Amino acid sequence: MSKLSRNSVGVAALAFPTWAYLAFFFIIPVALVLWYSFGFKPDLFTAHDNSVLSLDRYFETADPTFLSTFWNTLQIAGVGTLICLLIGVPFAYWLAVKVPSRWRALLLALVLVPFWTNFLVRTLGWQILLAPEGFLSDALQTMHLTTGPLSILYTRAAVQLGVVYNYLPLMVMPLFVAMDRAGASLREASRDLGANRWRTLWQVTLPLAAPGIASGCLLVFIPLMGDYITASVLGGAQGNMVGQLVANQFNSAQNWALGSAMAVVLMIFILLTVAIVGAVILAVRAVLRHNRRVVMDRTDIESAVIEEAAA
Amino acid sequence: MTQQSTLAPPVATEAGSVQVRNVVKRYGTATAVAGVNLDVRSGEFLSLLGPSGCGKTTLLRMIAGFEEPDEGDIVLAGSSVVGVPPHKRPVNTVFQAYALFPHMSVAENVAYGLRQRRTSRAEIGARVTEALDLVQMGTFATRNPKMLSGGQQQRVALARAIVNRPKVLLLDEPMSALDRKLREEMQLELKLLQRRLGITFVFVTHDQAEALSMSDRIVVMLDGRVQQVGTAEDIYTNPATSFVAGFIGKQNFIAGTVAGNGRLVTADGEIAAADADAAPAGSAVLAAVRAESITVSTVRPDTDVNVVKAAVGAVSFLGETIQYQLTTGSGHELLARVPPLHGELLPAGSTVWCSWAPAHVQVFPNPHPSTGGQ
Repeated sequence: MSKLSRNSVGVAALAFPTWAYLAFFFIIPVALVLWYSFGFKPDLFTAHDNSVLSLDRYFETADPTFLSTFWNTLQIAGVGTLICLLIGVPFAYWLAVKVPSRWRALLLALVLVPFWTNFLVRTLGWQILLAPEGFLSDALQTMHLTTGPLSILYTRAAVQLGVVYNYLPLMVMPLFVAMDRAGASLREASRDLGANRWRTLWQVTLPLAAPGIASGCLLVFIPLMGDYITASVLGGAQGNMVGQLVANQFNSAQNWALGSAMAVVLMIFILLTVAIVGAVILAVRAVLRHNRRVVMDRTDIESAVIEEAAA
Repeated sequence: MTQQSTLAPPVATEAGSVQVRNVVKRYGTATAVAGVNLDVRSGEFLSLLGPSGCGKTTLLRMIAGFEEPDEGDIVLAGSSVVGVPPHKRPVNTVFQAYALFPHMSVAENVAYGLRQRRTSRAEIGARVTEALDLVQMGTFATRNPKMLSGGQQQRVALARAIVNRPKVLLLDEPMSALDRKLREEMQLELKLLQRRLGITFVFVTHDQAEALSMSDRIVVMLDGRVQQVGTAEDIYTNPATSFVAGFIGKQNFIAGTVAGNGRLVTADGEIAAADADAAPAGSAVLAAVRAESITVSTVRPDTDVNVVKAAVGAVSFLGETIQYQLTTGSGHELLARVPPLHGELLPAGSTVWCSWAPAHVQVFPNPHPSTGGQ
């Protein structure tokens, strides 16, 4: 055995926990879902059967309920990611640039406090807060800011609020890391070279934070597309998300084939969205690079050399 | 500063002049700069020299605009810049760690300042080319700064600053990350570049050799105050304080008392010093003798002043000089550096005679008389 192949076997063996984890908890389940999606539900008491393979379940997913829920989910996830980004960028900038370093750890811990509580419990908390007879509703009425009880619970607005609350830390963390890493010295260099704060933000801080922004958006958007707890707790009938439909097929309807087909469609759709957004970002970056490029003046060098030779 | 009093010093208005007036900067209870007055002449190469924490970098950052003075005024080319943000000051900085933008090519880094001033694309191209050629980095224009060596990054940082044709260029220990050979090459180049461009350079360093080799004038700082301002020769031959004397070159300090008649009384007997009577008789002083002013010989030299018998502790061959660590009869340590041409290497343990001329002794008030100086 050559030294190289022996080494690579050794490295692969060392990485065993990682690939075993990936295989057992990602590749095999996804392959099973894909397999089930080609099957059917044979009778009332059986969840799936793969004795006859077809694409029929995929045609079933194209029904209006699924499509409108899908569209609804995309809107909630898209708007939710955008709101998280709009809140997260200024907050992360403030935390990384303005806050004295001794306060930073404390503020970061506060951002993570909600994560110490169970996801479901946190969401149920919002149910109490937003309820028409809840204290927020009472307080707003006492202050005469609203007439009548608060009617936000079980609407899409409540779901939107809930997802922003639940996913915001996932946006803030990578943004903070990216902006912190860019460093004060680069911002100072930019100021020194004649750029004001605003231009420094756009030309130095944000471009350097771009990988953090991208990972923050992915971390929020992808789990958000599959989220169904927030929607079922806060959305009721109006805030339906596609994750709920998938869960219903697996749980109450006991139709694993259809549920699997829906899950596969969802996965493909998420991959496509990420690919399209990624392509747009790459295109924008190429345009920015093009605008920034410097056309070196080669004829000028020759004249300078001649001048020097003459002097 | 609109108020003109008859006592105020004249305001220099040349493009590259900087005046620092009674500037104080505090961080909490610590005072980083404690009342500095300084006139930087247009077109000169001025070094701020001092140990770390002496306030030299803080002073530079106040000229650049990254810090505002708590008291005093900073005047650039005749007008006060206190309160003016860094991007509106006619100065540029070469940073210690270069601070090149990692998401831009070398040429884009250099073009950054020009783009902020909305310079035309053609002019940007011409000036970036010119600046990169000036630092011999023209062929690296399309590289990413991360792919460059430390010395190359430093050249790009220099080009990025001078391409804007600043009135004053501020350099914050730009050589500290370079190895010694490269640093010496860059020192020479930097000096030539400064002559050629005629820009005022304010150069911060803690390396006395660097300051001596490049500067028109040197400002020696300690604890937020200016100790001395002068040419390299001034500072070397006529140090104003014992700190300056000790900071520039290797110095031997001998504690003593002024006896009058040009003599000092020390633990190793009397020392004759040319300027011994500048201090009142009986006052505690430090006599400073440079390591290179001491002559070491095996036979007693034919003179009756400034001769001390000593034992050789350690010998180091430094190339241009031989360094002897010596111990006098009273236990005082002396350091002597003699040119190798003047004789053979004396072995450790041998007994020698050290002597030096009265003209080479400098006398300073002893800042800590009870502890025997320093």
